[in-house]
Amino acid sequence: MTVSTPIIEVQNLKKWFPIRTGIRSFFGEQRWVKAVDGIDFDVKSGDSLVIAGESGSGKTTLVRTMLRLIEPTAGSVNFEGEPVFTMLPDDLRLFRRRVQLIFQNPFEVLDPRHTVKDLVGEGLVVHELVSDEEELMKRVLNALEDVRLIPAEDFSRRFPHELSGGQLQRVAIARSLILDPKLVIADEPVSMLDASIRTEIMNLMTDLQKEHNLTYIFITHDLAQARYIGNWLIIMYLGKVMEMGPMEDILQDPIHPYTQALISHIPIPDPTEERHRIDIPGETPTPIDLPPGCRFRPRCQAIDEYCTDDEPELQQIGPNRWVACHGWEARKKKKQKLRHSSER
Amino acid sequence: MSVLRIEDLCTHYFLGEDQVQAVDNVTFDIAESEIFGLAGESGCGKTTAAYSIMRILPENGAIVNGRIFLDDEDVVVKTEEEMRQLRWRKVSIVFQYAMNAFNPVLRIGNQIVEVMLEKQSIDKEEATKKAKELFDEVGLEPERIRDYPHEFSGGMRQRAIIAQALAAEPRLIIADEPVTALDVIVQNKILGLLKSLQKKYQLAVLLITHDLSVVAENSDRVGIMYAGNLVEVGTTVNVFKESLHPYTYKLIGAFPSVKGPKRRLEFIPGTPPDLIRPPSGCRFHPRCPWAQDICNLEVPEYREYEKNHWVACHFAGEINFEVEP
Ligand SMILES: Nc1ncnc2c1ncn2[C@@H]1O[C@H](COP(=O)(O)OP(=O)(O)OP(=O)(O)O)[C@@H](O)[C@H]1O
Ligand SMILES: Nc1ncnc2c1ncn2[C@@H]1O[C@H](COP(=O)(O)OP(=O)(O)O)[C@@H](O)[C@H]1O
Ligand code: SF4
Ligand code: SF4
Ligand SMILES: [Mg+2]
Ligand SMILES: [Mg+2]
Repeated sequence: MTVSTPIIEVQNLKKWFPIRTGIRSFFGEQRWVKAVDGIDFDVKSGDSLVIAGESGSGKTTLVRTMLRLIEPTAGSVNFEGEPVFTMLPDDLRLFRRRVQLIFQNPFEVLDPRHTVKDLVGEGLVVHELVSDEEELMKRVLNALEDVRLIPAEDFSRRFPHELSGGQLQRVAIARSLILDPKLVIADEPVSMLDASIRTEIMNLMTDLQKEHNLTYIFITHDLAQARYIGNWLIIMYLGKVMEMGPMEDILQDPIHPYTQALISHIPIPDPTEERHRIDIPGETPTPIDLPPGCRFRPRCQAIDEYCTDDEPELQQIGPNRWVACHGWEARKKKKQKLRHSSER
Repeated sequence: MSVLRIEDLCTHYFLGEDQVQAVDNVTFDIAESEIFGLAGESGCGKTTAAYSIMRILPENGAIVNGRIFLDDEDVVVKTEEEMRQLRWRKVSIVFQYAMNAFNPVLRIGNQIVEVMLEKQSIDKEEATKKAKELFDEVGLEPERIRDYPHEFSGGMRQRAIIAQALAAEPRLIIADEPVTALDVIVQNKILGLLKSLQKKYQLAVLLITHDLSVVAENSDRVGIMYAGNLVEVGTTVNVFKESLHPYTYKLIGAFPSVKGPKRRLEFIPGTPPDLIRPPSGCRFHPRCPWAQDICNLEVPEYREYEKNHWVACHFAGEINFEVEP
């Protein structure tokens, strides 16, 4: 393994939203939606991290907080060693250029009244990175070719409504790439697209990563998709990391009961594959007034004596694996015992 | 006997001088107790086919040819009044966007009771009792029939919609992307519910989705649509494991899976065609790696290549998909 420094480090990050109730609760205490509730991880340069979790698990809030688009409640984020939350305006501007965000729905971010050229070139103009019109055009055409919108001249003159969903998402990607980012964060970038176009965009992003030395953070709730784009995986539940490690290792051998259940529910495009689904009763609650101890406890099928009222910390359990569950070791021993007795 | 039988269906949308040929020569049937999965990329005509069966096409859409039998009644020739009698009682639909299916200012229970009062000869008290039973059946607390739509989560709303679809005891349920907006765990619960009800009431189900995994795991038979045409129909295992149509093969190859070896996914170059002026001959020919001269000249016949395995390709069974020319 190459020794590489983290490009971004997230420490004990929290984002709580106050609940606005008409009348304050009886004792006047503030209640909170704990959307992000203490998250630690870092991403090494050149990695591609997928953050996966169900709707409402806090993925989008996490990203928005990391980028200082909303105020954090607690914690810190370092980008290339620099603390983001105390950056002065100039550094923050640079940070916002080096870290680019791509959204789920390109229609929402791309102003329909502007041409592709203006949309893709906007960042260069805003950040005053080009000296004249000629240079701007050259950079725009390059970026369009990078995302395989060819002939670039032709595409540069079009308006958003003259493009397909997949082409529009490429424009959004070109618009980010042109600023020469280090880190690209994509929040469900392909969930609005059809399977075939989705694959095309994912393949493109994989290629661009190599060509431009990018580091990626992908947000998704679709683990099948995640597998093709990420080498590193974080599973979130109600604002906390449940499990973290290399993508294939987790998919092949999930350790946290939530991860195990989640993976067992992912449909597979093969009708002959036998499935054993692990039940998760109820629905994901809103993270208000969480029970003491493990936040997954009310729905966990692996619950046992080891599940105390202490919250399980995310702990390292192998060279590259982290998990937040009191029972991982006990279950592992039990499994080994079973294996021994069946071998005998 | 088939509950639904569609023959040579053509449904077009009229846009000024132009016609969008959204469904073109589609033929298939669904038997009692059968789940038929209809899959294909966005815009290929799945919803248009569903709306044709329900006869709820928008104003500029019309069935221009073909017949649609529900049991033995041809819905194409029915008057609007006759259709009103058939909807919900013979066939009901579970929509893509559960959000919009209920009127937001009315209690969910009342909306279900309304359907029952209109379609069945029962009184309000009886209908309310039945609505509660239906709620129980779809896994919702019966007391919650007094709730408003916004008080339900996405998964609960989808359950309520299924309850409503069952209210008048139909023979066929059309589910158009019923789980597309939901998380996998909720998704499986809803699909599991649909399957258990289907068994219990011997329902025929038309399951429409662009998600091939959902189709693979939940259907008895599958139809694959491309650009308004049905290009392949067969048992789920045959369509997935012994695909005959190049588009089917390519579409499955583009689909990610958490199981099996990780490979680079293949995509299909190009985009689905404009249905106002679809390509001549086989509509897939501009994107098909195995296309030959005949493919842009002659429309391939939709035929039963082997028993219960239908396909519309000139070279069905002759192509080695492993090798692209
Ligand atoms: N501005 C806000 N005020 C109050 N609560 C909020 C706010 N934004 C998000 N939340 C809550 O925080 C939790 C996490 O939301 P978030 O949007 O981050 O989830 P997500 O994982 O991105 O979900 P999805 O997959 O649906 O996009 C949810 O319970 C949500 O309702
Ligand atoms: N009201 C309409 N007027 C004109 N064209 C339409 C209308 N509704 C759908 N279409 C077109 O008909 C084709 C099939 O659409 P649809 O049945 O919604 O596909 P799917 O459900 O498979 O995504 C598409 O080309 C679509 O753009
Ligand atoms: S700590 Fe206990 S309740 Fe929580 S995930 Fe582990 S086994 Fe389940
Ligand atoms: S008919 Fe020709 S173009 Fe169409 S799918 Fe078959 S080989 Fe390809
Ligand atoms: Mg989100
Ligand atoms: Mg549709």
